[in-house]
Amino acid sequence: MNAPALVAEHLTRHFDDITAVNGLDLRVEPGEIHALVGLNGAGKTTTMQMFLGMTEPDDGRALILGEEPPTADWSRVGHFIDAPFAYGELSVRANLTAAGMLHGIPRDAIDDAVSTAVERYQLAQWEDKRAGVLSTGNLQRVGLAAATIHRPDVLLLDEPTNRLDPAGVVLVRNLLREIADGGGAILLSSHHLDELARISDDITVLHRGRDIGRLEAGGVDVERRFFAMVYESEVAT
Amino acid sequence: MNAIEQIRAAITVEWWKLRRSAVTWTTTTLMVVLMPALSAAFYSVAINGGRGPLATKAEIFLSSPGWAGYLGMTGQIAAAAALVGVGVVVSWVFGREHADRTFPALFALPVGRHAVAVAKLLVLTAWVMTVAAAVMVTSWMAGALVVNGGSVTFGGLVELGVVTLLTGISGICVSLFASVGRGYLPGVGATILLIIAAQVSVLFGTGAWFPPAVPGLIAVHGAPGIPPVSAIQIMAVPAFTGAACAATVAWWGNAAAG
Repeated sequence: MNAPALVAEHLTRHFDDITAVNGLDLRVEPGEIHALVGLNGAGKTTTMQMFLGMTEPDDGRALILGEEPPTADWSRVGHFIDAPFAYGELSVRANLTAAGMLHGIPRDAIDDAVSTAVERYQLAQWEDKRAGVLSTGNLQRVGLAAATIHRPDVLLLDEPTNRLDPAGVVLVRNLLREIADGGGAILLSSHHLDELARISDDITVLHRGRDIGRLEAGGVDVERRFFAMVYESEVAT
Repeated sequence: MNAIEQIRAAITVEWWKLRRSAVTWTTTTLMVVLMPALSAAFYSVAINGGRGPLATKAEIFLSSPGWAGYLGMTGQIAAAAALVGVGVVVSWVFGREHADRTFPALFALPVGRHAVAVAKLLVLTAWVMTVAAAVMVTSWMAGALVVNGGSVTFGGLVELGVVTLLTGISGICVSLFASVGRGYLPGVGATILLIIAAQVSVLFGTGAWFPPAVPGLIAVHGAPGIPPVSAIQIMAVPAFTGAACAATVAWWGNAAAG
């Protein structure tokens, strides 16, 4: 059996007097799409940042492919946190080539990887356009293409379907499922609860930095159950 | 990827970004074309004995008629203008990763952020060297239009190139301010402060020991009341920027995504 792709053990992070993540335990297995859901400030992005070495935990540890961030094998990891990897002065193709180089794709394989990414994310129409003139939805596609151009084994995506039109949402959903079916592990967050329920294998609900339970993936009326869990957590504290 | 492979990949990416940026092209044009043109115009006004504030200012800049005076004047302008130009581009190169929110995307990559910072600094150094060489050529061309008599000396052109190069190198130090300040405005602010501090240090007679003031002192060497600049003081310019660059690379390697 494969080792888990992502493991959080009592992961904790404070920002001054605010506890962003509070003793979180989490496992994401290869082939699994695991979603984090919660209100703003629930700790979703901070959790991902700790896996990626963007901020250090105050307590506990985050393991990615069995290693803590300083020694992780980043050539097997992709991520899209905050803004897309897209420089306005570069064309879409140049941006994706740059992403490929920084992700360690050998030079003789980059052209093919870029062409594949352009095709998969349906960016051919904008391939030679500067990223600075793209709509936010197309920039989002460029960011997702840059994050996955090297076919990572682990993918962390913060709000991946934000700013996408319905066709883009379906496209990304299918691509993520394809990555997971190929053995990739995906940790993502979103505010689109129905979308998460459709795409995810497992959904962890975070509230005030704590894991307050699971939502059934593929279930119905996810929104009502989510708010019920958040309400119960508030009452309990 | 080993360290060399990381830096090579990062240099390629940083070079693309620099050469396709409007900030780079605008600033380069201002330094390579406008700066010598301005100097030639000043020289012409000073030589032709015009009146008014512009002529008075031009006469202060001009030590003597001829190529030596023209190149010295161009060097004085370069010592201030190139610091502004380089400061703006360096601030943009480092600060834009924060302003455009691309900094987090540079985490968790096989190419480390140390390598990205080193690549930015190497590409900027190469750009500064290119600008200094181009300023030598365009200053010679602009001078040929306004300087009557005599011929340009290779030594005079080289001195102008050295002044521009040292000014540019001292300007690279603002990479630290744009990084720590997480934006280009702190870098631009630091550039302005450097220019003011250089002027003040010269007025107090300590300019030769303040690296950003050294190129300006080289440009006016031999003028009354200006002490010669020693080799150690000249070497302090790259040493000063080298220390700032080391701090910049260290910051990039250790900073949180923010």
